[in-house]
Amino acid sequence: MNKKTPYILIMPIVLLGVLFIFGVINGIVQSFGYIPAFDLTDITLDYYIEILNSPTFLDSLKTSLQISIISSILAVILGTILTAALVYTGHTEGKILQIIKLAIIIPHTIVALFLISILSQNGLIARLFYKLGWISSQGDFPLLLYTKNNFGIILGYIWKEIPFVAYFSLALMSSINKTLGEASENLGASKLKSFFYITLPLSMPAIGKAFLIILTFSFGAYDLPFLLGATMPKALPVQAHIEYIHPDLRHRPYAMAMNGLILIITWTMAGMYYLITTKKNKR
Amino acid sequence: MKSTNSNKLLKIFLYITLFTILAPMAILILWIFVGRWPWPNLLPATYSLRAIKEIFAPYSNVFSILFSSILLSLSVAILSAIIATITARALVLYDFIGKTVIEFLTIAPILVPGAVFAMGIHIVFIKLSLADTVLGVIIIHLIYTLPYTINIMKDLTESVGKQMEVQAYVLGASPLKSFIYITFPLLTPGIMASISMAYITSFSQYFITLLIGGGTVKSFNVLMVPFIAKGDRSLSSAYALVFIISTLLVFLIIDKIIKKLPYQDNKEEI
Repeated sequence: MNKKTPYILIMPIVLLGVLFIFGVINGIVQSFGYIPAFDLTDITLDYYIEILNSPTFLDSLKTSLQISIISSILAVILGTILTAALVYTGHTEGKILQIIKLAIIIPHTIVALFLISILSQNGLIARLFYKLGWISSQGDFPLLLYTKNNFGIILGYIWKEIPFVAYFSLALMSSINKTLGEASENLGASKLKSFFYITLPLSMPAIGKAFLIILTFSFGAYDLPFLLGATMPKALPVQAHIEYIHPDLRHRPYAMAMNGLILIITWTMAGMYYLITTKKNKR
Repeated sequence: MKSTNSNKLLKIFLYITLFTILAPMAILILWIFVGRWPWPNLLPATYSLRAIKEIFAPYSNVFSILFSSILLSLSVAILSAIIATITARALVLYDFIGKTVIEFLTIAPILVPGAVFAMGIHIVFIKLSLADTVLGVIIIHLIYTLPYTINIMKDLTESVGKQMEVQAYVLGASPLKSFIYITFPLLTPGIMASISMAYITSFSQYFITLLIGGGTVKSFNVLMVPFIAKGDRSLSSAYALVFIISTLLVFLIIDKIIKKLPYQDNKEEI
């Protein structure tokens, strides 16, 4: 057919792509202190140096890393178990999968509401503990929301991401199990052995990709830490937004430098994932 | 012996997961009707219809905002599915200059958190008069749904291939006709999956809608979050339930539409 056809087909994505790259570059340029609209025209690394020396930023960085690493590791392990549970109990479609999908359509803002009514000091679990005689007043129940331990935020991400991991890797694991997994069982391998030596390793591409997606997402997301985070330290994107809306517009580059560092870390995560997966393929 | 044991464990794990998903939903529905729920009662002391009345009160504008929010996300979803379909077609069936660049572009938004991108592009949108407009919000939502929809359409386009379409073309149908009558029906399941995926991604956005929409473009999530932040549990639970039910209804309608499409019959003939 026509030689021009592919170029016509990619026009919309090219347009949106140009806008996307322009947005990213525009943010990076601002992080070097170049915003002519605000009379900032010196290109400098000072904003990066300054925030890298600020304890507020370093605490925020630690908070965000802690939230995303802990929640993603737990979610990917439990999500893989859930995928296996769906595959081996024969629930790769039907009602049970619909319930799993329900967790995917619920936004993080509503997850925050769930956590508030269940985990706060006058929430359901605290009341249950009181009835069981484990605590004697509201104050005895540990603070799990709006505190430095970020327990609520981590739990919220896990709640959302276990179903996501399962949904993302279900198709691959189920098809591998149907073909190679069952073949190895027929040849005499135990179910457990065929899972750990055949089905799981071959499902890793999907599981690994799901892990990368939830890791970078929970590192850079705003909604959940905005609603459930401590006053200090705040997660990085929330802290960046505070600098962004600072009444003194000359604070804008600090926000953009924080965003720049979020990008560098996100890209490092992706780069590591890329290195690990290509190395494996070579072997 | 061992394998039945591990199967049992998996079953228990599955049921615990289902419980953890459904229990908060039940608590949410209960909270809508709570009047007073003093510590340390395990059940509310009084019940009331305050939250329901508030939601249906004409001054709260809940349903007009819900309607326009659904319309916005549906527009995003349909545009995203169309762009994904043609982009996938170009990437899978054609060779062209800059293919790798386009391939990279289709996953790039996953590597740039929405909040970071929104703050970066905001000033550009202000200059282009796209900030605080529905179009601006649609564009930024579109950018963040495309990686997922293109992924779905690429997989499907690969498996459907070009042979069928080429046969129709060889037999004398125009390229457009052979696409519409042969390939498109085969792609409909993926297109519908893309629409659902893009819809939920768009409808769930909070921060980027708030920043780019500037409060002028009110999505349902933007309307709901202040109640969650303020801690009005009854009212925010009522909003949350409206959110969930409306999403399920939209999905139900999308499902009905697929089944009604005339192509579905043609498919069996093929």
